Amino acid sequence: MKKTIFPYVVLAPMMLLLFVFLVLPILGSFVIALFKYNPLNETGNTFIGFENFRRLAADELFNISFVNTLIYVFIMVGINLVITLLFAQLLTSLSSNKWRSLFRVLLFMPCVAPLAAVSVIWSKGIFPVKGGLLNKLLSYVGVAPINWLGNPSTLMPALLILSLWADIGYNIILFISGLQSIPLDYLDAAQIDGAGPIRRFFSITFPLLGRTFSYVTAMTLISQFQAFAQFAIVAPNGGIGRRGYVLSTYIYDMGFRNKDMGYASTVSLVLFFIILIVTLVQQRLNRVDWGY
Amino acid sequence: MRKINRKLLSNIIIIIFMSLFCSVFMLPYVRMILDSFKTRVEVMKGTTMFPKKFILDNYRTVFQKTPIVNWFFNSLWTSTLVTVVTLFTSSLAGFVFAKYEFKGKQLIFWFIMATMMVPAQTTMIPSFLIIQKLGLYDNLFAIVFPSLVGGFGIFLCKQFIEDIPDSMVEAASIDGAGNMRIFFMVILPLIKPTLSALAIFTFLGKWNDYLNPLLYLSDISRMTMPLALSFFTSQRTSDLGGVMAAATLVILPVTIVFLCFQKQFVRGISITGMK
Repeated sequence: MKKTIFPYVVLAPMMLLLFVFLVLPILGSFVIALFKYNPLNETGNTFIGFENFRRLAADELFNISFVNTLIYVFIMVGINLVITLLFAQLLTSLSSNKWRSLFRVLLFMPCVAPLAAVSVIWSKGIFPVKGGLLNKLLSYVGVAPINWLGNPSTLMPALLILSLWADIGYNIILFISGLQSIPLDYLDAAQIDGAGPIRRFFSITFPLLGRTFSYVTAMTLISQFQAFAQFAIVAPNGGIGRRGYVLSTYIYDMGFRNKDMGYASTVSLVLFFIILIVTLVQQRLNRVDWGY
Repeated sequence: MRKINRKLLSNIIIIIFMSLFCSVFMLPYVRMILDSFKTRVEVMKGTTMFPKKFILDNYRTVFQKTPIVNWFFNSLWTSTLVTVVTLFTSSLAGFVFAKYEFKGKQLIFWFIMATMMVPAQTTMIPSFLIIQKLGLYDNLFAIVFPSLVGGFGIFLCKQFIEDIPDSMVEAASIDGAGNMRIFFMVILPLIKPTLSALAIFTFLGKWNDYLNPLLYLSDISRMTMPLALSFFTSQRTSDLGGVMAAATLVILPVTIVFLCFQKQFVRGISITGMK
């Protein structure tokens, strides 16, 4: 197309907004991390170099949050991918469109509800020892009541159950549309050659789902590393035994409750680099030729 | 014949299994709605699934004791405004990146994409300080302005506008149409499905957002629905029926919208996720 200044006219105001609300904050977090920064401090904030970074290694709560985050994310993403792939496969092999869309709608419903509201319902109606729905259900299969949120060893499993409930619908839809784009000829050919359904899944479906799978994995990883609302509401201050402290809630508490914004920024950079690594790995994997 | 029977059998097994699973899966909703109609004492006891008597007291409490109508409209106008402006900026920027050549194009585009991967927790502290400096703290525009331009929407629109043949744009240009006229008359009508998908996700993301309202809003009457619900819950720890009624009122609008537009939701996820 011919040369005009139109692109610059269009992009200038947008770049200004991005600069003020995104670029400046990103740069800002690197700068604030070098300060002992308290917004209420009237005498000014002192430059302390890499002192905040040194503090990380010795900070027990940071270490707990870091480990909890990894535990949460890897278990969550692992179970999520297995369940959603299984359900997507089951639903794709249904011949009835009506049933398929009914199940898909039901499984997706929690995804449109605000996570904050979901967290309130689960922490007040499902998890409580007294009158909680989960214990009631478990009592039918003979399991004694569990104090889900009041017990250090069950807090994280509870958070995982809640998060899975709230999140699986999204990946199910992505996997169904990935599975439906695989040509049926391949599967039919394999079936004629005598491959059973499990063999067909691992030898044909799964390899051909490569690109979808790598995309879904990366997106789920990135979003789960930033999971916040359920931890803030179900496990305030880290919950019992701090077993529910994750990086996102630790950063929030450090910055906005303790007003230790310099240190909170330092912790937030750890999260930044984790997500940077996940993104770079996904980019690298995407260069592989998955086509068929 | 045997093959058809096997197919039928596997279908029946899958339907039975999924029906059982989905019935359990829906129980939190059932619990929430039923609890919202129970008396305070009955909810606390938690021994019954169905209310002995359906009462509306909990809903009356929520409407009388809280500015829930305010919360609803706060959520509604901020989410709507963000969605409308985001659709405009995303499609316009996508148009420029897809159909124009200009100096620094690659760099600017790469730069916008790079901003997408930065976690909200990394930017929230400086953003908070900037919002305060701009005098926007405890103002609903604090959750509007930062969301008006988004890398995801620009990327999505660029991908789909690139599929439109250059010849269509050139033909319009030869006929004397200006840049904006081409954008409105040629480009926008052709990317409607993309825009409706983007609209759904932008609106939903904004409506459900918890972190940003938590950072920037403190006055009760200025809160949005999710934040207000968590605030209400922390204020009324012994009034579970009221909490469940409020939760129902928060979850209901989005769920109804979803049920009405479920086809668009599913298609939207598929096209945005696959491109």
